[in-house]
Amino acid sequence: MTATATASDPATGGPRDRWSPRDDLGLVVTPFVLLAVLAAYLTWLGAQDLPQQAASAITGDKLLTQTREQITITALSTLGVLVIAIPLGIALTRPWGKRFAGPALAVANAGQSIPAFGLLVIALAVLGRVFGRAQDNILQNTIGEALGPGLVISVFALILFAILPILRNTMVGLQQVDPDVIEAGLGMGMTRREVLWRIELPLAVPVMLAGVRTALVINVGMATLAFLIGGGGLGVAIRSGIQLAQNVVVVTGGVLTALLALSVDWVGAVAERILRPKGL
Amino acid sequence: MDGVRSWAGFVADNVDGVLERSLEHLTLVAGVMVAATLFSVVLGIVLMDRPVARQAALGAAGVLLTIPSLALFAVFIPLVGIGNRPAQIALFLYAILPILRNTVTGLGSVDEAVVESARGMGMGPLQQLLRVRVPLAWPVVMAGVRVSTQLVTGIAAIAVLVGGGGLGAYIQRGLTSLGNPFSIERVWTGTVFIILLALVLDLVLGLIGRRTTSPGIR
Repeated sequence: MTATATASDPATGGPRDRWSPRDDLGLVVTPFVLLAVLAAYLTWLGAQDLPQQAASAITGDKLLTQTREQITITALSTLGVLVIAIPLGIALTRPWGKRFAGPALAVANAGQSIPAFGLLVIALAVLGRVFGRAQDNILQNTIGEALGPGLVISVFALILFAILPILRNTMVGLQQVDPDVIEAGLGMGMTRREVLWRIELPLAVPVMLAGVRTALVINVGMATLAFLIGGGGLGVAIRSGIQLAQNVVVVTGGVLTALLALSVDWVGAVAERILRPKGL
Repeated sequence: MDGVRSWAGFVADNVDGVLERSLEHLTLVAGVMVAATLFSVVLGIVLMDRPVARQAALGAAGVLLTIPSLALFAVFIPLVGIGNRPAQIALFLYAILPILRNTVTGLGSVDEAVVESARGMGMGPLQQLLRVRVPLAWPVVMAGVRVSTQLVTGIAAIAVLVGGGGLGAYIQRGLTSLGNPFSIERVWTGTVFIILLALVLDLVLGLIGRRTTSPGIR
């Protein structure tokens, strides 16, 4: 059961069997489809006769700023989480790190249900103090100044939020590599490092990236909660929509975020295509 | 350490409230999960022999997951009002993908030779489905239900933002009273009890999964 559950694990997305030319075509077409949807939606939105309040909640300027904030939050937290979680996942599957693998997986499994909402507020409470305290600390003056403290704190919280699922999927991906293949590599005289780079990682890529993509997509959605702690982003539009009871405003925030999430997923798909070994 | 002690004190002083909110959260999640499991498994069975429709359904469920939870919660407010209703609908939509994907995978990975022998034994299509295919796919389906439950329990924290109940209320109260006494304790209470609730649900589902799995493949 463990084997089947891993191979089709929905949290990991489940690797597809083989790469076909049709998938390649999909990769090329996807960005154009996303752009077309964006253009179509904006055209439709422009043609709407919106009530004054709704129109002022989603002016082009506001949407542009919010989208930029959303992209900044998404990009920074994605980068941060990948840089932390993937090497950590690799370390935990090395012979010398294996004894921590069990506990780490248990924590990572339990962590799937951590509410992003709670994490954001905790990060605000803890880091907000750091920001507020010293006038001359680096965090406050350089990073905080450039991006706004709310945004920086949101990035921290979202990194924490996505670390566990990505760590988990990295480990699951590496663990499902057939030990015989690793043995064969060692037998051929490869060093441990070569085995990792040339056998384990390439073979783990499909399972690993499938899970990583799902986690990142959820992360983009959670970034809409950044507005709750003053981090801005498209959540601002969604919240205005809720307050004004204007669904068009809510949907606008939602559509733009979803398109961003789908773009992140597309980047993941491209990465998978490039990193996936040809034999698979 | 002081922080932990004052948090424990807060929880001890508010046991009734915490239990009540936990129960609300549990009710919300359980209702959604029962509905989503039934829907997804039936849909998975219906789509078993229809590859094109199956791809379309999986794609649609995948796109649903990219819609930010806050927006998905909010768009249903004009239709069903504020409260738990919009939260239930949104969570239901999120819960579909993992279960549907696992149902499809599970049913698809049943050895055709086994189904063939069932037919050879004189079983009709319905019997083949209910007595051979579904039982063999069941462990994989349950794995999907567990993942889905974890996801839904965490996201349900946002229900409070659209007027629903549950443990998210503690996080919300903590946020709005930040800086005042017991604000951070409230946030921790909501967060920790959501994780605990998810762990308990996962254990229970693990047991249910074992109990309902056919003894032959346990």
